Amino acid sequence: MGKKLIGCPVCIEHKKYSRNALLFNLGLVCDARTNTCSLEPIVKKLSGYLTTLELESGFISKEESKQKLLPIMSTLLEDLNATGACTLPIDESNTIHLKLIQLRKDPPIVQEYDVPVFTQCKDHFIKSQWDLTTQQILPYIDGFRHIQKISAEADVELNLVRIAVQNLLYYGVVTLVSIFQYSNVYCTTPKVQSLIDDKSIQEECLNYVTKQGQKRASLRDVFQLYCGLSPGTTVRDLCSRYSQQLQRVDERRLIQFGLMKCLIRRLQKYPVKVIRDERSRPPRLYTGCHSYDEICCKTGITYQELDERLENDPNIVVCWK
Amino acid sequence: MMLNPSDGLPDDRKSLYPQSQSSAYKCGDKTSPISVILVSSGSRGNKLLFRYPYQKVAECPSSLSAKQRNPYVLNTSGDELDDQDGDSREQSPLTDEQLVAGFSDIVLSTILATKSDMCGKKFELKIDNVRFVGHPTLLQHPPIIQVSKTDPSPKREMPTMILFNVVFALRANADPSVISCMHNLSRRIAIALQHEERRCQYLTREAKLMLAVQEEITTTETDGSPQSPFRQILPKCKLARDLKEAYDSLCTTGVVRLHINDWLEVSFCLPHKIHRIGDTYIPPEALERSLKAIRPYHALLLLENEKTLLSQLPLDCSPALIRLIKTCSAVKNLQQLAQDADLALLQIFQIAAHLVYWGKAIIIYPLCENNVYMLSPHANICLYSPLAEQFARQFPGHDLPSMLAKFSLPVSLAEFRNPLEAPTQEFAALLVNQAQLIQMVVWMLQRRLLIQLHTYVCLLVPPSEDEPGLRDEDPPLAARVGGRSLSTPSALSFGSPTSSDDMTLTSPSMENSSAELLTGGDSPLNKRMTETLLASLSEHERQFILNIPAAQNPEDLRMFARLLHYFRGHHHLEEIMYNENMRRSQLKTLFDKFRSVLVVTNHEDPIISIFQSPMD
Repeated sequence: MGKKLIGCPVCIEHKKYSRNALLFNLGLVCDARTNTCSLEPIVKKLSGYLTTLELESGFISKEESKQKLLPIMSTLLEDLNATGACTLPIDESNTIHLKLIQLRKDPPIVQEYDVPVFTQCKDHFIKSQWDLTTQQILPYIDGFRHIQKISAEADVELNLVRIAVQNLLYYGVVTLVSIFQYSNVYCTTPKVQSLIDDKSIQEECLNYVTKQGQKRASLRDVFQLYCGLSPGTTVRDLCSRYSQQLQRVDERRLIQFGLMKCLIRRLQKYPVKVIRDERSRPPRLYTGCHSYDEICCKTGITYQELDERLENDPNIVVCWK
Repeated sequence: MMLNPSDGLPDDRKSLYPQSQSSAYKCGDKTSPISVILVSSGSRGNKLLFRYPYQKVAECPSSLSAKQRNPYVLNTSGDELDDQDGDSREQSPLTDEQLVAGFSDIVLSTILATKSDMCGKKFELKIDNVRFVGHPTLLQHPPIIQVSKTDPSPKREMPTMILFNVVFALRANADPSVISCMHNLSRRIAIALQHEERRCQYLTREAKLMLAVQEEITTTETDGSPQSPFRQILPKCKLARDLKEAYDSLCTTGVVRLHINDWLEVSFCLPHKIHRIGDTYIPPEALERSLKAIRPYHALLLLENEKTLLSQLPLDCSPALIRLIKTCSAVKNLQQLAQDADLALLQIFQIAAHLVYWGKAIIIYPLCENNVYMLSPHANICLYSPLAEQFARQFPGHDLPSMLAKFSLPVSLAEFRNPLEAPTQEFAALLVNQAQLIQMVVWMLQRRLLIQLHTYVCLLVPPSEDEPGLRDEDPPLAARVGGRSLSTPSALSFGSPTSSDDMTLTSPSMENSSAELLTGGDSPLNKRMTETLLASLSEHERQFILNIPAAQNPEDLRMFARLLHYFRGHHHLEEIMYNENMRRSQLKTLFDKFRSVLVVTNHEDPIISIFQSPMD
């Protein structure tokens, strides 16, 4: 047949019905190949509404009100297909509102060293529609402050900030990047070629990374800068090597855009304590599971301090990945 | 001397996928079935023949009260026995297993045993959080009943089975690709059963046994302790044991091998279980796309010991497969493999794809000194990982984190031999000889710890200063020299025969293959060819290139023009070397000479990187 049927059968038992029970089912017919997860809550809701209507006023069993079902069903079909939402007036006192809610993937856990950055212009959002916590932290989301910093500056508890940002992640309002430092190391991903292949990404990029008030940066300069990022090269090195290309480009926004669109990725450092004598405690943080970012956030020491401590320790190796 | 770096691989295959084992049994694993059910429909109506896991009928409240009860345990099983249809959901959230268990045998047989016009097609039914997938199959010929010649009684009407359905219950939010894989398995089992039924009424016999046990149990229910009839069926029915085995395999390894009636083999693998890296799996579509794009210069790396792999093959497998497994090696590319194994290249591609699909091999670039490797971003570098333990056992005296640290910066295998490294104490421990190094690299590649970096080149001419408005209008070369595909000829598609059998490629068919351009100096032919090649560039670009000092040398300019279509950022150095039969040094020199218009970067090959890192 190539079709899929979604329905929610209801059975109401009562002596007043001709067979002591009324069975009905309002279903939707769809193409077999479409993803219909979001239609299921609508079908369920409708069956619940109809059950209530039947119990209250015999909507379905009475002949005259049964006639209303036909226009209701055609409105339902047309409106859902057109706009994804519909309003069904049943009678003077009852109206059914239905809306297709898009199901999204579960968002990842937000860590305290993650940096949220808006995927669209901040001003597009009507702030009053968001909850209080989100409203309080919104001004501090600038694509450079990490969660811990936002929590401290906005004076909101850390876990609340994490949850609020996770919520924003779910709706695709923000995406997460890593903390920016001039000592960071990045490298290109195969997706960097999309800067050349895809005109829209090109436009977006050049608009995003050009310094304020300057002429638009050239594609070649920007592409060279991205390709200049490689393991072993810090952002500082990049700036000194490509100073000419950086005349019209803001390096922080360059990195930010690259991370958001996955044109580049950050190489994090992971210390691992490989040699230790039997008597000492097993390493808690230097196991290869915690990056420098995480360790610095959790312990409060700076990157340089951590580097100094670990460089001189012969028992610790550092992996970059 | 053929290097066999896979020697000494641990035979315990499960160790390759440490994480997937624990998650398989957790509630909510979307790639495992919840239950397997066999129903039939015939002259006696719809019957549920077998289901596994069966309802643990013993856990009814009466028996629980007799045991010591933990006061913190929620008693949810009470709901199931009251409500046969499993509709009670609001009180306490039932696990998916309990949901399916909540469907009684009668309900299941009614909904799953379809009418005959639904046979031969995919069957899918979703009830709340459970999705049933199957392939109802018609048994056309009624079995011929052998009536004993000495039996004087009139021939009784033997109950006939009209159709049957092997159904898998899945979680409703399972991926569509998982659902179609399960349907595939259901269909395969159905085909085998249909065949055996026609040959020797196998299914009817097994069904009779199953129903007999079920009737026996329900009629002899003494001492108030009901037993599950399905538990009794298992020792008596081979088919029941096969179905149980299928279910168990799907939940653990994802590889199913059954012998229906000890005769027909049904084999199946669930790619979602096999191709896992950490917690994520590689979607089969991505795998297929990757496999369609492999090239003759790629190599096949076996994930298991050659001996182990050969022992897993069925007795009647293709000799070509055996030959391939015996001759393949991490340092040999597919084209060399075709020559060594004496098979057509196309066949090599097909067998390689087959091995990759079954999780027995991955595609890499053949190992050589100039290969540059780096730590994979998804590598597990934890000190306490099972990989670290295995590495220490395999290579005593070396530890995995230290070795991995060496690959933190991209390093070529040749650099490991560099004697200029200061021999500090811990470095002395890391010094490895070349052969052992190769073994370690292969070990790490098999466990998805390393990625290989390649050099990609892109042509980007600096914009002209005088016309700033126009420069960005020029679409980059990539967009203009579009669409010329250098992938393997379209013949590689799963399971379909092809006409172009000669695929011993030395260079793919392109208009500008090296043979056409004569090496003789500045002949008009060569000049014209160069001009034609450069014609795809804009005027500004052409002028700029011709003004580069290196372009004054006609040889260099010719080489540049010839390779122009590679400078789109999609072909790496090794590919150009292979296609154009050039040396690495030649290319590197050329890139250097024309560096004012070329931008070079290093990253992994997106075609095969899927084997090291899942799709984002």
